[in-house]
Amino acid sequence: MFQRQFPVLYREFLFRMVDLEIIANRGDLTKLLGQFGAFLGAISFMVGASAVRLLYVEGTPSDIFAQAWPMVHFLIATTMLMTGLFAVLSWDSAFPDARDVMVLAPLPVHFRTIFLAKIAALGTSLALVVAAVSAFAGVTYPLILGYIQDGWLAPWRMLAAYWVTMAAAGLFALCGVLGLHGLLAQFLSRRLYLKVSAVLQLALFCGLLSVYFLQPPLAGPTAMADAGNHRLLEWLPSYWFLALFLKLSGELPSSAAWLASRAGAGLGLAFATAATSMLLAYFRTLRRIVEEPDLVPNATQGWQWPRWGGTLKHAMLLFSARTILRSRQHRVILALYLGIGLAISLAGARAMLYRRAAHPWNHLDGPLLMASVIMLCFSVLGARVVFAMPIALRANWIFRVTRVRGTLRYLDAAHSTIATVAVIPVWCGSAVLFLAAWPWDYALQHLLVLAMLGVIFADVCAKGFEKIPFTCSYLPGKANIHVSAAAFAIALIAITDIFVDVERRTLRGDGSGYLKLLLFLAALAIWARRRRMKAAAELPDLRFDEVPAKDIHALELYRDGRSVAS
Amino acid sequence: MLELRGVTKLYTSIAAVDQVSFSAPPGEVTGYLGPNGSGKSTTMKMITGLIEPTAGEILFRGQPISRDWMAYKRILGYVPEEPHLYTHLTGAEYLDMVSQLRDLPVALAAERIEGLLRLFGLAGDRHSAISSYSKGMRQKILLAAALLHNPELILLDEPFSGLDVGSALVLRNLIQELAARGKVVLFSSHELETVERVCSRVVILHRGKVVADDSIARLRTLMSAPTLEGIFSQLAIEQDTTAVAREIADLIQA
Repeated sequence: MFQRQFPVLYREFLFRMVDLEIIANRGDLTKLLGQFGAFLGAISFMVGASAVRLLYVEGTPSDIFAQAWPMVHFLIATTMLMTGLFAVLSWDSAFPDARDVMVLAPLPVHFRTIFLAKIAALGTSLALVVAAVSAFAGVTYPLILGYIQDGWLAPWRMLAAYWVTMAAAGLFALCGVLGLHGLLAQFLSRRLYLKVSAVLQLALFCGLLSVYFLQPPLAGPTAMADAGNHRLLEWLPSYWFLALFLKLSGELPSSAAWLASRAGAGLGLAFATAATSMLLAYFRTLRRIVEEPDLVPNATQGWQWPRWGGTLKHAMLLFSARTILRSRQHRVILALYLGIGLAISLAGARAMLYRRAAHPWNHLDGPLLMASVIMLCFSVLGARVVFAMPIALRANWIFRVTRVRGTLRYLDAAHSTIATVAVIPVWCGSAVLFLAAWPWDYALQHLLVLAMLGVIFADVCAKGFEKIPFTCSYLPGKANIHVSAAAFAIALIAITDIFVDVERRTLRGDGSGYLKLLLFLAALAIWARRRRMKAAAELPDLRFDEVPAKDIHALELYRDGRSVAS
Repeated sequence: MLELRGVTKLYTSIAAVDQVSFSAPPGEVTGYLGPNGSGKSTTMKMITGLIEPTAGEILFRGQPISRDWMAYKRILGYVPEEPHLYTHLTGAEYLDMVSQLRDLPVALAAERIEGLLRLFGLAGDRHSAISSYSKGMRQKILLAAALLHNPELILLDEPFSGLDVGSALVLRNLIQELAARGKVVLFSSHELETVERVCSRVVILHRGKVVADDSIARLRTLMSAPTLEGIFSQLAIEQDTTAVAREIADLIQA
């Protein structure tokens, strides 16, 4: 029985380890995964090719190691980030959920079989992520670093050291996230767990990105051995695993050996926590899910939303806000875009954090200006993408049946919803930050510019959005939306950089430049609004991508492959 | 009065609904019956405007419904066959959204939502997500959403689906009460016993065509059948139901 059940469950769990619909709802998954694999492969290829320069470095093997140090650390940190993000994305797949219980509990399948199949699927996924990050670099770096050492065994030892380190680093990040998640599921009541689970997922997502982008650079192996850096290194796992790699390849200074030991201890602890929580989840939580009552009414109404605009705008805003807050799929995608914005902002803040920036953080020339504009742009871009993703296609009929207003009013409501959901939270956050950090007159000037930018960008992004938010699907082949958005984002960063430079000059100027900038933005806002309204006015109707299900599907077999003239 | 004149819906070259004509007068409950795949739900969707007929005309109060969609939808209440809802919203939130989409005054909508939730026995679960609702509770939300704006034309596609006995009895009386107050009610169901109790007249559809359109009493006389089930069996069921049941039992035992 086990031999027949295990492969079926393993395959099933592996294919839904990461909820692929999060990334491409009904989209072309194979194409999207191919694009993602190609992206990781391209990075690995570029990093791998950079190893060739080590062949031309003159000096002892230790000097060459010092040259390779930053890139090996980058690869370890990236592997940990990717496996950590994978664990965050597979949040609901790693542990048993109500779907597993409903489908598998009535069948004659042992919990043991389900557990082992899930572990095997997790292991396979981890191996794939680690291999994707190091596909090229995992061959070139170890072989070249081994080549410069004496002995024919050295390249092979280096290769083994590299892959053991990467597997250990990946396993540590995966087990760390799973362990944290599992403990939460065990210690909290099921209802409370379901409430805080989403918050923890997003917090871990931002936490992983922040650690990756904000961790300090170290000059070389000697800096690792420096007692002054001990307290910092105690909290940076990527350096523990770098020490492990150096130890396995025989290049670790003895004074830094404690870091390699810390890697082993950390891995052991993370693994034990994850294993215990998974065992408990499968042998305890499954029963808890079954015993959970079908319906426990919420006693309270929750937060009362303030009224916003007319009834249509209010309905659409509430529908959108509730969908983003309650749908894991939409929340994760929006967090992904905000995370990219945050990552770019943090990368700017890194130089400041380690005192390499030319100006203090609250100076007009500091990174705050760029960060606020970048976050605004990525918030609007993310909102635009998630608004095009459906929440429940088959429930859209209610919008069709209750359509008692004209198309333009629906589009206007949809566009103002994008602006409200994406611009207002970023603007409010920026207002608090700038009013606290900058002189109030400069802060107000920038906030005015930021508000106008938000309106313009929301209008630009809303062009072509002829839908009610969350009611349309992007169909097979349309998974390119994230690729298009990525290309758009790159152009956006370049434009933002130029714009921030212009704004910086005007803020430092005598005021006339600032006035000109405001006038320019106002003209741009009017142009963007007119352009969108003109496009909307030409629309015959709102767009609903989905076609109502046909009651009869004609196979047209009688045509025998020939087209029939109508 | 709702009137269908020669309504046809073709999917490629196959007619799901073929030259269907009937009328549903106000003050009466008109039953719309037929076996699976006979075209009932397609007709319902054409009357709601969700799909367009290939040919024919649908009129309400003598006017084609396509002349002014907005005005028509203001007076239309529809309960679909399947309870497709936005399950991430709570029952109260869903009804609130529907009231706003229908542009109902805020105070009036709040009062009606409150009352409907109480009368349908959902007041205690109003702040729970619809995803946690049972099938019957979802059906009640659909009914509440369809009645919220006091519609003049009410289309009910399998409205008893999932309802418990008590709720089904309330709904049965409600349908008759609404018709008595001058609403046009078109009611589609597979529960022939309920149809027989609720409807004054029935339209029976078979393979997309109307095969009977009359009062139940007259059909009983015409078909020499004591029940609606007997009439339906003669007009719309082609297989020997007893023999098929026996065959299934034989198959799983083999």
